Amino acid sequence: MKSDCGGTCANFQSSPWHTGFLIQTAAVLSFLLSGSVQAADSATAKALVVNLCSACHGLDGNSTDPKFPKLAGRHPEYLVRELKEFVSGARKSDIMTPIAKTLDPDEFKGLGEYFGAQKPGSGVVLDQKMAASGMKLYQDGDEERGVPACSGCHSSTGAGSKRFPRLAGQHKEYLIQQMQDFRSDARSGAGSRLMREVTKRLSDDEIKAVAEYLTGL
Amino acid sequence: MVKWMTKLLVALWWLPLVALAQGQAPATAGSGVRAWNEIKGEKREVLKLQGDVARGEEAFKICQGCHKQGATGSSSGAYPRLAGQHATVLIEQMTDIRSGIRRNPKMAPFADEHVLTTQEIADIARFLQALPIQANLGRGPGNSLDRGKALYEKDCVICHGNKGQGDAEKFFPLVAGQHFKYLLRQAVSIRDGQRGNANPDMAKVLKPYSDGDLEAVADYMSGLAAP
Repeated sequence: MKSDCGGTCANFQSSPWHTGFLIQTAAVLSFLLSGSVQAADSATAKALVVNLCSACHGLDGNSTDPKFPKLAGRHPEYLVRELKEFVSGARKSDIMTPIAKTLDPDEFKGLGEYFGAQKPGSGVVLDQKMAASGMKLYQDGDEERGVPACSGCHSSTGAGSKRFPRLAGQHKEYLIQQMQDFRSDARSGAGSRLMREVTKRLSDDEIKAVAEYLTGL
Repeated sequence: MVKWMTKLLVALWWLPLVALAQGQAPATAGSGVRAWNEIKGEKREVLKLQGDVARGEEAFKICQGCHKQGATGSSSGAYPRLAGQHATVLIEQMTDIRSGIRRNPKMAPFADEHVLTTQEIADIARFLQALPIQANLGRGPGNSLDRGKALYEKDCVICHGNKGQGDAEKFFPLVAGQHFKYLLRQAVSIRDGQRGNANPDMAKVLKPYSDGDLEAVADYMSGLAAP
């Protein structure tokens, strides 16, 4: 009897022992798989990070080039949302949109969880006086001009949440760029409405001061 | 080139002012057409929804950058205390600010539909109503309490209640223990016809009030013990 799978599986079909072994293996595998889908997801995520993300964002999510944000310690749901927005075009990025489009949307969650589980590092504060005025604005806002305290959404430690990104320890250059992009409406997308408004109430110096403070957290 | 750009900048500088002036017109015109506490539009939609405290707490993060954790507001009067306020009142104010009937350029962008869903308005209102009220965080100077009490009992008690408790069903806010400076700012704005969703009856009552009268009443209300 000629097997329809070609020469490679002919041996298995010819031996009853092998058939038994195959069935047993399949049973064990399916049992293991039901409990290890997550493990498989995280292995896929790790492989994606190594091949696709780490060159810019670092293997542990703490990028070294300030052009690229640190992702370590960000809430997985936030990362998933941003990836979706890069794909849909709601958030525009010449770099991230083509990369995100190569991913299967089912892989977003694993990537979010991978980066969320990494230990976030801090940046270096160079101007303490500026950081102090940034802290005041971040923690208290400015009532007179209707600037909300950033801590209201991003939390007093800068750790963020599923809706609002972690800011603590982020590159100041990246923070400044993002705030400027919000202010000019260059950064749009679902979550951007709030920040586009807040940043229009901030001066250049205030943006720099808040970034100086946040990078040291 | 530079000269040309300067001219353009000067021309553009006026645009926001024009927009501001235009934005004000429908607000004043609208208040004449629609009864201040009429249940319609989004307000009616929200009132039909069941609010959820836990979801409200999460959504309130958007608000607490200004209204503070625990919704205590600010004694500067920039932001009112919202903790313990009637959910109905909160829903009316949020939807009125969102629709522009109550003109509030500081807050409106944070209450728009890209930020808060209709359901989240119900959730936030429910969460805030259940929050404990911290007593009298922004008392007035306390130097015209008798005059304030007399005015309050003559003109205000009928709607806002003898303890300043308001009336949830009629959309009258709880005023007891609210920040003095906030109460004063709103009273002035209602008297002067600046608050688009004001109760016209209240505006009429306040018409003859002097600044001193308003200060006295606000002083009195800010010292009332919240229920």
